[in-house]
Amino acid sequence: MAVRLDLPDIQGLFARGYSKHPHARFTVFTAPRPASGGALLDWLIPQVTAAAPFSGDVALQVAFTASGLRWLGLPDRVVAGFPAEFIQGMTNTNRSRFLGDVGESDPCRWSWGGPGQPPVDGIVMLYATDQGVLTGRQQELRARLADNGISAVTELPALERRDSEPFGFHDGISQPVIAGLPKAVGARQAVAAGEFVLGYPNARGQLPDSPLLPASADPLRLLLPDPAGSGAVDFGRNGSYLVVRQLEQDVDGFWRFLDAATRRADGSEDPTARTALAAKMVGRWPSGAPLVKAPGQDAPALSDDNDFTYRDDLPGLACPVGAHIRRANPRDSLPSGSATSLTTSGLHRLLRRARSYGPAADGPSGTGLYFMCLTADLSRQFEFVQHTWLNNATFNGLYDDADPLTGNRCSAGAAFTVQARPVRRRYPGLPRFVRARGGAYFFLPGLSALRYLAQLNKGAQK
Amino acid sequence: MPHQLGVTIRAEVAADQVTPLRDWLAKAARPEVADDLFAFGGMRGLHFAKLFLLDAVTDLSGQPIPASLVLMTEVDAPLRPHLAELIDVGGAGIDQAFGFCAGYPGWGSHPRARIAWLRRHLVRASAFYVNTVGRGLGQIRQEATLHDAIEDYLGPGGDSGRAADDVRREIRAYVAGRPDLTWAMRPPAPPSVLFRAREALHAVAVPLALLWLLPALAVILPVWAVLIRWSERAEQPATGRPTLEHLDALAQYEDFVTQNPFAVVGFIQPGLLRSATIRAVMLAIDYAARHLYDHDDLAGITTIHFARWVPLDGWRRMTFASIYDGAVEAYNDDFIDQVWWGLNAAFGNATGYPPTRWLLWGGAVYEQQFKNTLRIHQVPVPVWYSAYPALSAVNIENNARIRAGLRGDMTTADAERWLALL
Repeated sequence: MAVRLDLPDIQGLFARGYSKHPHARFTVFTAPRPASGGALLDWLIPQVTAAAPFSGDVALQVAFTASGLRWLGLPDRVVAGFPAEFIQGMTNTNRSRFLGDVGESDPCRWSWGGPGQPPVDGIVMLYATDQGVLTGRQQELRARLADNGISAVTELPALERRDSEPFGFHDGISQPVIAGLPKAVGARQAVAAGEFVLGYPNARGQLPDSPLLPASADPLRLLLPDPAGSGAVDFGRNGSYLVVRQLEQDVDGFWRFLDAATRRADGSEDPTARTALAAKMVGRWPSGAPLVKAPGQDAPALSDDNDFTYRDDLPGLACPVGAHIRRANPRDSLPSGSATSLTTSGLHRLLRRARSYGPAADGPSGTGLYFMCLTADLSRQFEFVQHTWLNNATFNGLYDDADPLTGNRCSAGAAFTVQARPVRRRYPGLPRFVRARGGAYFFLPGLSALRYLAQLNKGAQK
Repeated sequence: MPHQLGVTIRAEVAADQVTPLRDWLAKAARPEVADDLFAFGGMRGLHFAKLFLLDAVTDLSGQPIPASLVLMTEVDAPLRPHLAELIDVGGAGIDQAFGFCAGYPGWGSHPRARIAWLRRHLVRASAFYVNTVGRGLGQIRQEATLHDAIEDYLGPGGDSGRAADDVRREIRAYVAGRPDLTWAMRPPAPPSVLFRAREALHAVAVPLALLWLLPALAVILPVWAVLIRWSERAEQPATGRPTLEHLDALAQYEDFVTQNPFAVVGFIQPGLLRSATIRAVMLAIDYAARHLYDHDDLAGITTIHFARWVPLDGWRRMTFASIYDGAVEAYNDDFIDQVWWGLNAAFGNATGYPPTRWLLWGGAVYEQQFKNTLRIHQVPVPVWYSAYPALSAVNIENNARIRAGLRGDMTTADAERWLALL
């Protein structure tokens, strides 16, 4: 598929996870009303990093929730062109149940973004090569937000980027290769760009829905035309949905459970068995080596290996059917058959951009992940994976097994089954290891859309 | 085991009763209230039940169609005791619900009068899909017990280095030795001879009739194809989107247990062509559901427990209602990716559906239009009941295979595959 991506107009997070910028800080903010966000945007836009090749030492991205877009002056009828998930937000009661944000993950208990807390309007994401640079830019940002009467809901400081997430596993290995990006040249399974950015054909060869405006609403001609050729202008073009969830990980509880579950008959601990069971839960060894390729023990040489299928392991003897990575991306292992399964899996990919966090004097108390991902369809991609694959106790023929790492275990799904011969090994009563502590759905607009937003309220004031 | 029935009871609701009924349904939706009112769990052979309101509408020619209350149950045959139990067991709820409908005899009248009234309000489905025909509630529950008992017997399990044959032998001895599980060593009883004879006759009679009609069809089909294509040229893309209020009204009753209820209602396009087409398509779906997809899957989809197509208001409208596992998004994706042709053949004759080509192509493949159309036409199901809320259709089939594997000899490889079902 020959797609020409408009990289200078797409924010850089689409093209890269800023691995060369290991220091990051995310500022979630609430905007005062009534007030203009134009001045803030005027200041931010020149700093926004695009997806075109980039070598600076600081990258900045900015995204808004539905309420943030309204605050900036985007008319309700345009906001109404966004999908319901985005407009209603992550904490809509029915959605919370759907996402498994109940019990200890109930938004009422969140430290930000929950009901009764300051509304989340936007997020500014800073990535830097150096902590000092980051601190300086963060101070500037803080001052500028204060000048505009904008209060930070929370600042989310990330730990210096490492290869592994807090449970101790090499993370972020399996990323979709996006057709149209340089990395996709020669790749076997590139995913259509329209799965992650609006304005391009998706995996079904169709343009994702996008909020359109009549051309007359854009007299300065800042927005790009509707690629479908309707004559309207497309506010969504080159933009993506950004899911942000602060997921607290009970690292001690995780390893305590594994330790208790793998003790020898004489009560002594068995570190090898402990790590092996953890690997069964994840589907990869701590190094990242996939179980289907390294069933017996860790193989650090395979740490970045993503070139595998489950064709030779359909019963799950090497990698359990319910393992985390086999749920998040089942590849060819769904019961519909190899080819159909690969197609299905391709319709539910996420472009992940997570960063870890740890206890910080000026940040969160626990340890965990700022889960972030980009999608073009919140419902079909993020929500589907969360509900139908991760939290589903009957996933792929299982009975009572939600995701062993992230499952909420509220009504069902507290077991973990390791397929084995002659019979499976069953671990009942898994505790909850991951709790949502905050989150929101954002829209990461293209640069043209940001420029359009910047002048909206100014126009109204004239 | 008995075969299953899809029972539909529909009654008109007077205009001034619609709001009170809607409020009442919202209250009855709470599980503890519904359990108390309807005692669905006490009705023999009842798999699922749904109770929902169809709002008053005007049809395509401007004729008003009054609001109506619909009760759908999936239940093991025969029908007569089920209708009696709706009153004898669930009378408190049924009396209140249908008390909002014109002419319901009401509490205090003889139960026979109320049962007769329900019977008069039965609506025939034109097609009824059953995941596995003849697998009654009793069997589903028994086999779930069997699965749990064997799981408990195996305990933590794991790679003990023992031979699969030995483990299987032990499991068989364990099951055979438990007086409450000895039934599991025998195959489930098939549906009644009468039912099987009727189905066998139908399986043969329809193709024979088609064969007989072949000369006529050879003339009609090309003409029909041209007419359909002509009619499709006027179809417009479906641009509507469901409102947020409607989405919340639907979502508030979804995703509590393994299954979800689904009900859509829409108008059949006017005119003889579409009217004849939808009837023919329904005959085909009825045939396919009864004879081709009568075990485990509907054209590859393994998540549907039951589904039915019920024409309403003299074939001016059509309802499609089902019980499926998982989320509506996943359900729609399965439709789009696996049975788009079947969806198109039926829904392509409805108004507001994405444009089809030659009836089978297009339509559902327009993902957003299709999903929006279905959500728009979906009806909230406030009261619904599941007899096995934790079991997916795949679990139920797996349990049946576990039972089947208790009988007879097996090779070691087969024994290994059988043990993998646990």
